[in-house]
Amino acid sequence: MAKYVIEFAKTGTICYTSHLDLMRIFKRVFKRTATPLAYSQGFNPHPKMGFAQPLSLGYWGMEEFFECETEGEWEPDQLLQRLAEGMPEGIELKRCLPADHLTRTLAAHTVAAEYMIAVPAGAPAEENRKGGAPGDAPAPGDAAVEQDPDADLSDPRSLWHSYMDLDEILVWKRQKKKKEPKLINIRPMIREMTFQLAEDGALYVDALLDGGSDSNLSPELIISSVCRRFGIAADRSEVSVMRKKLVFDKPLEELLS
Amino acid sequence: MNIDKDLERILRRVEKPARYIGGEVNIVRKDPAEVKTRMAFAFPDTYEIGMSYLGLQILYNILNRNPDIYCERVFAPAPDMEALMRGEENAAGRAQEPARKLYTLETFTPVSEMDLLGFTLQYEMSFTNILNMLDLSGIPLRAADRMAEDPDAESWPVVIAGGPCAYNPEPLADFIDVFLIGDGEELLERICLEYAAVKESYSKASSDPAKAGLKLTFLRRIAGIDGVYVPAFYAPEYNEDGTLGQMRVTDAAAPEKVRRAVISDLENVAFPEKNLVPLIETVHDRSVVETFRGCTRGCRFCQAGMIYRPVRERKKETILDLAMTQLANTGHDELSLLSLSTSDYSRFEDMAVELMGLCRQQNVALSLPSLRLDSFSFKVLDEIQGYRKSGLTFAPEAGSQRLRDVINKNITEKDIYDATRQAIELGWEHIKLYFMIGLPTETYEDLDGIAEIAKNIVDINYQIRGRKGGRFRVTVSVSNFVPKAHTPFQWEAQDTPADFIAKHDYLAQKLRIKGVTFHYHESNTSSLEAVFARGDRRICRALEEAWRLGCRFDAWTEHFDEKKWARAFEAAGIDPDFYTIRPRSTSEVLPWDHIDPLVRRGYLEEERQRAYGGETTPDCREGCTGCGMNRFTECFRGADRSSAIFKNAAAGE
Ligand code: SF4
Repeated sequence: MAKYVIEFAKTGTICYTSHLDLMRIFKRVFKRTATPLAYSQGFNPHPKMGFAQPLSLGYWGMEEFFECETEGEWEPDQLLQRLAEGMPEGIELKRCLPADHLTRTLAAHTVAAEYMIAVPAGAPAEENRKGGAPGDAPAPGDAAVEQDPDADLSDPRSLWHSYMDLDEILVWKRQKKKKEPKLINIRPMIREMTFQLAEDGALYVDALLDGGSDSNLSPELIISSVCRRFGIAADRSEVSVMRKKLVFDKPLEELLS
Repeated sequence: MNIDKDLERILRRVEKPARYIGGEVNIVRKDPAEVKTRMAFAFPDTYEIGMSYLGLQILYNILNRNPDIYCERVFAPAPDMEALMRGEENAAGRAQEPARKLYTLETFTPVSEMDLLGFTLQYEMSFTNILNMLDLSGIPLRAADRMAEDPDAESWPVVIAGGPCAYNPEPLADFIDVFLIGDGEELLERICLEYAAVKESYSKASSDPAKAGLKLTFLRRIAGIDGVYVPAFYAPEYNEDGTLGQMRVTDAAAPEKVRRAVISDLENVAFPEKNLVPLIETVHDRSVVETFRGCTRGCRFCQAGMIYRPVRERKKETILDLAMTQLANTGHDELSLLSLSTSDYSRFEDMAVELMGLCRQQNVALSLPSLRLDSFSFKVLDEIQGYRKSGLTFAPEAGSQRLRDVINKNITEKDIYDATRQAIELGWEHIKLYFMIGLPTETYEDLDGIAEIAKNIVDINYQIRGRKGGRFRVTVSVSNFVPKAHTPFQWEAQDTPADFIAKHDYLAQKLRIKGVTFHYHESNTSSLEAVFARGDRRICRALEEAWRLGCRFDAWTEHFDEKKWARAFEAAGIDPDFYTIRPRSTSEVLPWDHIDPLVRRGYLEEERQRAYGGETTPDCREGCTGCGMNRFTECFRGADRSSAIFKNAAAGE
C-alpha cells in the first residue's frame, strides 16, 4: 500500500459537474485503469481517497489536489500516466507525489485559496439589484455593504481602497436550522485582494480567502459584496470564477517529507 | 471542449448543467468534415433517463464504428433549460427564433445541421417532447413543410423514428419522414450509408426541374427496404363511421405492407464494449449485456412478447466476455443483464454461477432483474443480495386463475405462495406484487382475488414469523390495462377513466390490510397512452395542439396536464373515446395493419378466441404454436436446446 498526492486542473465544460460527481469520476478512473485503491476497514468499507478542498459547480480549478492510497505501489510518474489515460476530457493530471509521510489528510492542512473572479463591469447600476428594493427580506448571500458613489471602475486603486478600507463587510449568511439569515462580517477572512481592469471592460478580482476547516469564505460572498459596493449590475451568470491555487499550512514539500 | 459565452451563461443558470455538456468517458470524437453522414440520435426525455437506455449505447456503438458515419446525441431539455434556450427571460411570450438552438452533445452543432435526426420511441407519453425538440432545433414540425418547394427545404435533416412505438406509427406520421420498424442494428447503419450514397450522387447543378429533391430521392430509394416505412407514401382513407377504410399507397416505390426488420443472428451483431459513462448520476449507470431477444411465454396483453419474436440468444461465453470488457472499459461497479425474462436464457444457471464468481472477484454488484422464482433463483438472489435484500417481485398480473388463463399468464397461486414461504424463510421482508386492471373479461371477483393474494401472503408471514410478523411488508402495484397494437388484445375496449377510478377505490378498500401498501397509476394518463397506442393519423393534430398548449414530459406526473390535453382534443375535433373505449371488430382495418410484425394476424385472432375460451397457449419452447415467425427466420437461434428449460417445458406437455 502506498499514499500519493496528485495535482490536477479542472477546466472547460466538465466544470459543470459537482464535487460529488468528481468523486465518482475519480473512483471510476481507478477501476477503469485497474489501479486498485485501498479500502477502509469496517462494516461499510470505502476507498481511501479524497480532495483537499471541494470545488464548487461551475468553477475552474487550476491547482487542485487529490490524495489516495493504492493497494499496490507505483512509481509516481507511472501512476500519473496510468490515471491520466482514464480521465475524462477537462481533467488534467499535472504531477504525482509520494505521500507516505503525510499523517493528516490534505484537507486538514488546507487553510486558504486564491480565486480569480471575472465580473463584466459595464455601466454602474442605478439601483443595485443585490439586496433588492427596501423592505425585501434579505436572502442568504446578499451583501449589506453600502454602495460607494465615488467608486471609479476605471481606477483599480480606488476600488481597492473603497473595498478593503472598510472595517466591516457585511453579508447575509444562511444559519443552520433557521430560516432567517444572519449578518456576518467577511472582512477578516479576506487575506489579500487585487483589482484589475481588462481591455474588454471586465473587472478581475484576485482574492486570497480563508479556506479551511476553521475559517472558510466562499467567493460567492465576494462577488455579491463587490458588485454591491461598486454598483455593478452583472447577473451571477455573467461572472466566472477560477480557483488559482490552494494554500496549505506548510509548504507541500514539507508536508510530504 | 470549450463553449461560447452565451451558452456558458445559460449553463450557469440551469439546474443540473452537466446534462447539456457531453464530455463523458468513452464519448466518440470524430472530425465532422471527415464523415459522410452525420446523425443525431435523439432521446425524447431527460439526459438521466436517456443515458440509462441500452438501445442508445448499442446504436451509438454500431454507427460510430463506421468511419463514414458520426452519430451524436441529443436529449430533451428540461423545462428550465427550454425557457433559457427560448430566451423567454428577455422577450415576453415565445421568441420567434430560439435564443440557443438545440445542439448535439458531441460537437455542440445545431441539430438542424445534421443529415439525419433519429428519435427513439420508447413510450407514447414522450411524443410531445419530440415536437418540442424539433421546434427547439428550429426545424418545421411537419414532414410536408420540410419537403416543400422552398429552396431551403433540402437542408432540413431527414427525421427518423424507431423503437417499439413505431409499430403503430400513425399518431406521429405527419411529423416523421421515415419510421424504422424492427431491429435497428443493421437497418439504421444501412440507412445512414444509403443517405451518403444519395447525397454523393445528387448534384443540384445537373438536375432538371422535374427531378425530385434530395430528400424525395432518398426516401424513394429506401422505401422498399424491410423495416422502412415512409408515411408520406401512404394516404389513409376513412369510412363514414370514422373507421379506417384503407391505407392507399401513393408512391410506386412503397410496398403495400412494411415488413419488420429482423436480426437473425444475435451472436454476430456488434454489442457495446466501451459504453459511454455519464459524468453525473443517471437512473441506471452500470454495465449491461443483453442475453437474448424475444420471449416465448405469449402473454396476450404484451406487445414486447409479440414484436420481438423469435427468441435469439447470445453465447454464454460472449456474454461473459462482453460483461468483463464493459466493466474494464467503464469502471462501473454494477452489472446487469437485459432480456424480457432473465431466467429463460437457455444456459442461465451456468451463466449465473460464472457471473457471480467474476463479480465477486472484482467487487462488482450483480443485478438480475425479473427472475423466475425457483429454488435456483433463490440461491442466486441470496448470494448477490446478501444482507441487503431488496423486495422480491411477483407479477401475477391478474387476481384469479380464470383471468390469468385469459391473459395467458402462466403463474399459479401455489407458485406464489411456495416462493413466498421460501423467501420469508431466507429473510426477505418485502414482497412486491404487480397487477393490471381493466383486462378483457375482468369482473370484481377478479379484483377480490388481488386482495386475497396479498392477504394470504401476509398470513404466510404470520405463520412463519409468528404473531408480530416483524417488519414484513407487501406492496401491491396496480397498472391500468392499455390495449396495444399487434397483440391478441388489439381489438379490445379499454376501461373508461371512471371504471378505473371505481376499481382503484374498490381495491383501496379491500387492501386495507395491516402491512399492505397499495399503489396505482393515474387513470387519465392510461387513457391518453391508449389513444396513441392505437391511434390513427388524425391524432397528429391533437398532438400538435397539445404541444402548442404547452404539454411536455407527459410521462411525469408533475408535468402531465389533463386539462390541456382535453382542450387539444377538442380543438382538433377528436373524440378520444373513439380510440380508447370502443371495441373493434376483427374485420375493421386497423391503422397499423400495413405494418407487418411477421407474427401472423390470424395468430393474434386465434389467440384472442382462446382468451375468450379461457384456454391457455403453452410456451412455444414446448412446441411451436404457429405464430408464423419461422416463415422468416430461425427460432431459438443460438439457444442450447438440450437445456433444462426446453426439457421441462416439453415434460409439461
Ligand atoms: S414460430 Fe413457433 S417457435 Fe417460433 S416464435 Fe412463433 S410460436 Fe414460437
